[in-house]
Amino acid sequence: MDANDVTAGRARGRVALRVGSTGPYSSELTAGQIGAIADIAERYGSGAVHVTPRQTMEIPHIDIAALPDVTTLLAGHGLHIGYAGRRPRNVTACSHWCLYNVAPMRDAALQLNCLLNENENEKMPLPGKTNISLSGCGFSCVRSRTSDVGVIARSEIVITDKKCKKCSLCVKEPLGCQVDAITLAEGAVVIDRQKCVRCGFCSGVCRPGSIMMKSKSFDVFIGGNGGLKPREAFLYRTVPSLREAMELIGSLLEGYRAHAREGERIGDLIERAGMEWPGQKT
Amino acid sequence: MEESREKFTLETPQVGIIRGVAARDIEVVGGKSVNLRASARPYRNVYTAAQLRAIKSVVEKYGSGKVHLTPRHNLEIPEVGQKNIDRALKELYGAGLFPGGAGSSVRNIFTCPDWCSKAVRPVQEIGTMVSRNFGDMDMPNKVTISFAGCSNACSRPQNSDIGIIAVGKVAASEEGCPEDCASCLSVCRFGAIRKLDGRIMLNEKCVDCCKCAQACAHGGLGIAGTGFRVLIGGKEGTSVRFGVKYADFVEDDFEILEIVDRVLNCYREKARLRDGSTRKKERLAEVMGRLGIAAFM
Ligand code: SF4
Ligand code: SF4
Ligand code: SF4
Ligand code: SF4
Ligand code: SF4
Ligand code: SF4
Repeated sequence: MDANDVTAGRARGRVALRVGSTGPYSSELTAGQIGAIADIAERYGSGAVHVTPRQTMEIPHIDIAALPDVTTLLAGHGLHIGYAGRRPRNVTACSHWCLYNVAPMRDAALQLNCLLNENENEKMPLPGKTNISLSGCGFSCVRSRTSDVGVIARSEIVITDKKCKKCSLCVKEPLGCQVDAITLAEGAVVIDRQKCVRCGFCSGVCRPGSIMMKSKSFDVFIGGNGGLKPREAFLYRTVPSLREAMELIGSLLEGYRAHAREGERIGDLIERAGMEWPGQKT
Repeated sequence: MEESREKFTLETPQVGIIRGVAARDIEVVGGKSVNLRASARPYRNVYTAAQLRAIKSVVEKYGSGKVHLTPRHNLEIPEVGQKNIDRALKELYGAGLFPGGAGSSVRNIFTCPDWCSKAVRPVQEIGTMVSRNFGDMDMPNKVTISFAGCSNACSRPQNSDIGIIAVGKVAASEEGCPEDCASCLSVCRFGAIRKLDGRIMLNEKCVDCCKCAQACAHGGLGIAGTGFRVLIGGKEGTSVRFGVKYADFVEDDFEILEIVDRVLNCYREKARLRDGSTRKKERLAEVMGRLGIAAFM
């Protein structure tokens, strides 16, 4: 642990700790871990915790002198301190319980978190702050398109020749298409591909199988950020599996490490050096 | 592929919103169980140790043993069985926690923590006031309101329907710049600061982010006054939109309340069904796209 791991607080000698977990995943804590965090906040902090926009617990007002004790207590519950400074922040993912999830994004997030932490231990820090956000579907609830690297899972749907029973489940509340891309025409359903965000939900709702999921794909976005100068990420590549998306993220981070100047974020690097380093988008 | 089809096939479709169960609607995510999204009421951007323990207890007794942390600092308790909702809610209420943050309403207000050393102006208090007045109010579609204590904008105000950012007027000290360190010059991202004959000058490109003043360790620059910048019409989701400046340098907290009130009223009045939809109303960004920012004045 070093200065990069903690956030300075207003009170002298006190810091805020962001809590990471290497299993289960940092945005998905067990009851035991929640209890441990409550105990630490009470004993060493101000008795309260903050839930950060990157879906981690932050325990403020911890006495610097108590850091070794706190670290040990956290470690006893599979928790660690991190996600501050010029580091990969917690890789965010959708709630595993959201029915819209096209693929298990939280598992991918956990894997990435572990991988990035391993690299940190090998002292290969990233040049700047890096937000990676994995959305389970096109609604992008974890803000994949204002992150340095974002993934959005897509589901390609097809209309089959199985007869539509006109039950209208796929168009009306509560299960119907959230963006009103489906209309029931004479004898068949029609999907407005302009409106459709490819969440695939309709294919699960339709019991006769008139709408089916054909395949999944994963859009990888890069170069976005919030903050002082917000920037929308652009679609970099689309790959057919989550594994390939993860590999792509791995190689993007390698390229970023190799080419960026200190403090430069991925969007800044692209603005300065163009697209040669990651390779052109497809 | 077959697997996901199975998962999504429900006996009795019950995904949706249970209306009127409590202070706020509850999002149902499966046939037999619900996801309870808990947040502290009256609004606070922190959870106390006692609240965490209440959540722990509910999660253990009625949930799946796990808690999900959402991007709008709610804690989500997945898989609470339908028959246990009442019991779970009772325990949560006892700890000052309420279900919320779902459906077409003002979602959980988001504020930075005041302990952040970079905050130009505290936002917790005003966030609480806004939550008391407008939190959980019914709206044509969801409305997110976010406060950031400085221009780092960690709470994502630019991608919120209403985003409020603390800003400050930087003033150079009368004595001029005490050291020749140039820290202030190197942090400015807007090309707004220069040094001329030992004096620091700011130009009209300055966005009042105060990064330069915060970087000066020698008292050469200070913050002369603080206020709020208000952006409206931001969103992220199916598409990204960054909010547009609605008001600049609002100094009075109560004026912020008036502004939020006005914007929400205009939104409620003017939002209509989306083109081609029979059930979904426009979000604030869409109303603004159709009618312009003037519709909210
Ligand atoms: S992006 Fe899709 S899968 Fe993720 S939480 Fe939102 S609706 Fe659910
Ligand atoms: S048509 Fe189906 S896949 Fe497309 S947005 Fe609607 S529910 Fe999702
Ligand atoms: S497409 Fe399927 S869900 Fe939609 S109306 Fe036809 S049978 Fe019902
Ligand atoms: S926006 Fe500024 S005040 Fe708020 S948490 Fe970020 S750095 Fe701190
Ligand atoms: S306040 Fe911000 S924009 Fe203005 S001069 Fe200082 S650093 Fe630059
Ligand atoms: S940071 Fe302060 S001391 Fe250094 S050049 Fe700027 S005004 Fe002068």
